[in-house]
Amino acid sequence: MPDSPYPAGSVRALLLTDAVTPATRAALEARLSTPPYEPQFFDAETYALLRAVAARLFPQPDRPEPIELVPAVDQRLLAGGSDGWRYDALPPDREAFRLGLGGFRQSAQATFGQDFLTLTPAQQDAVLHAVQIGQAPGEAWTTVPAARFFEELLAELTETYYSHPLAQEEIGYAGMADAPGWTRIGLNQKEDREPGQLVNG
Amino acid sequence: MPDEEVLEEGVLSPVQPEIQDPLLKSILAENAAPEAPTELEKALEIPVPADEVDCVVIGTGAGGAPLLARLAMAGLKVVALEAGPWHDPKKDFATDEKAQEFLFWNDERLSAGQDPVAFGKNNSGTGVGGSTLHYTAYTPRPQPDDLHLRRDFGVGQDWPFGYEELEPYFEELEQFLGISGPTPYPWGPGRKKGYPLAPLPLNGAAQLMRRACEKLGIQTSPAANAALSARYYQEGVGWREACTNRGFCQAGCSTGAKASMDVTFLPLATAHGAEIRPGSYVTEIERDDTGRVTGVVYLQNGQEQRQRCRHLFLCAGAIETPRLLLLNELALSSGHVGRNFMAHPGVQVFGTFEEAVRPFKGIPGALISEDTHRPKDADFAGGYLLQSIGIMPVTFAGQVARGRGFWGPQLRDYMQQYNHVAGINILGDCLPHADNFLELAEEKDARGLPKPRIHFTNQENERRMSAHAEKLMRRIWEAAGATDIWSFPRNAHVIGTARMGLSGDDAVVDANGRAFDVPNLYICDNSVFPSALSVNPALTIMALSLRTADKFLAGLK
Repeated sequence: MPDSPYPAGSVRALLLTDAVTPATRAALEARLSTPPYEPQFFDAETYALLRAVAARLFPQPDRPEPIELVPAVDQRLLAGGSDGWRYDALPPDREAFRLGLGGFRQSAQATFGQDFLTLTPAQQDAVLHAVQIGQAPGEAWTTVPAARFFEELLAELTETYYSHPLAQEEIGYAGMADAPGWTRIGLNQKEDREPGQLVNG
Repeated sequence: MPDEEVLEEGVLSPVQPEIQDPLLKSILAENAAPEAPTELEKALEIPVPADEVDCVVIGTGAGGAPLLARLAMAGLKVVALEAGPWHDPKKDFATDEKAQEFLFWNDERLSAGQDPVAFGKNNSGTGVGGSTLHYTAYTPRPQPDDLHLRRDFGVGQDWPFGYEELEPYFEELEQFLGISGPTPYPWGPGRKKGYPLAPLPLNGAAQLMRRACEKLGIQTSPAANAALSARYYQEGVGWREACTNRGFCQAGCSTGAKASMDVTFLPLATAHGAEIRPGSYVTEIERDDTGRVTGVVYLQNGQEQRQRCRHLFLCAGAIETPRLLLLNELALSSGHVGRNFMAHPGVQVFGTFEEAVRPFKGIPGALISEDTHRPKDADFAGGYLLQSIGIMPVTFAGQVARGRGFWGPQLRDYMQQYNHVAGINILGDCLPHADNFLELAEEKDARGLPKPRIHFTNQENERRMSAHAEKLMRRIWEAAGATDIWSFPRNAHVIGTARMGLSGDDAVVDANGRAFDVPNLYICDNSVFPSALSVNPALTIMALSLRTADKFLAGLK
């Protein structure tokens, strides 16, 4: 993975300016300050498994402190939150997560005879891939359609990741700094406050 | 380019319809009498449950808000019940997709069938203003032949009236809302009045699509959009400021430039005495032994409240409207409540460009083409329109994850090109089919009520149309110089679950929006559409809303 083509620190700098509205700043700053999190819905072992899965779906070797994606899942399941719909083929979210994460364990055991957490990264990826294409072994997958579960999990983690100010900085998104509005909206146009791409970045 | 004079001319003047009906006159006289107590006292008063009002309107979106204003302006005592809260967009709305998730109807819906439809951010809304709080404000008019697909192709269902019935309302809405768009509009019949405001500027995605379509001989035009390209005077509200190109229409407009109902029809309605009660979730519709609706029961702050009414307008959208009817076993004799569920084919095609697009700026769909309204080489009934699309990063990333299945370094690599990505999508007609319907599931929600389950599978016609469209959009993006072109299949908008028609044998409401089974129940939202139309539905929902109010008022005479 190449380094981000955009300069580091640009979003943090924008957050200090009047180009960001108070409501927007509040939302983004809350994500920047992340105290240590203790799982409240998952037991410690399952939480560790989900973290390991998330670490393969979003490997962040470039970050001294990776963006934590799993606390949001734990909090949502604890609160019983929903994004408004669910594949009818999947059981209710809490059950789907319990069964689906059990499925990762079973697939790891069936394929490599080991716990998912002790697999090499390449082996973990192989398990994830098999789940994604619906060909992973494990009894859990007879009640939870593997590909659908994987899609839901991946989409949730992805939306959490790209909601983070530092991930938005990574892709050169400056939309949060819209209080003055945008006038340069055409091709190859940008306002001075938008970060440009680094040369040879 | 409209000058000040034209702009002022475009402002709608309220006309008090002359009341001749003795019953309505007496209702009005009754209501007029206690009108004197000051506005302030009224606002603080806790509504007495035993009070009967003329009309209760359930829902404050595109279906409920325009008729609420119309009924209030006719002098009726009207109350709107809105499940969601009343926001102050200027203060409360963040430019942040996740923070704005409160705009969506997030009670879980179960999506079944071969092409399960996404809800939440895709097809729902809550709050005073309903899903217009996060609609993209695309406001193309349907074309006349959209209303008679069966006559033309022998499939689907015709509307019980023609385009000419809706045309005056389209014109009124365009002027009232301050729609920005091209004059003359290149497709469809000629119009008496042009759009009151010039089109909004083209963003990067729109420029790319225009460039490619020029090469391919496809006509394009800046789109009609209900966001203001210039300051506009809004009756009952005052001046609304021009769009600042935040590009955030789908997650809430914080400037008031977008004509959501909370900055247009709802303030107009309250200025004429309508009462809006946020946080009011209707659970029961009560009837007397003749079958007439007598009132509704709703939950507000965890308390059950009752509001009695002479007439009920159900405007809760194509999922909650049939769900309420089914829960209350109301207006079911046709057997069509929940059936005929339609969702527009809305396949999107994305590409990566050498140019910087920065797809978060400007209205997402700035460019349109209706050249594909009835394609000559079509192997399907009906047609579709093409729209350029910009897209916000979290939505886009979620689609990349679901649609391409990318994860790990591949996903992060691809997302680093976000500022160079642009899309096109279609909005195509959809036919009703026996396999596509809504039902109540056994599974219950937090309130103990059955969740809705929606079955949807694109049928032969939708599949052929989507294939035709995807091929064309790929050609367009190739001509624009895109690399790494991919498509994201999706269906947008939910339609048809309480359809209108000429007979109670195969429709739930008559051509005026009144339930065949219940004389004082009207339904007005996307659920009454007999066919899906090949345009974004909001403008037509609003037109139906005004028409429903006018038909109702005429019926009182």
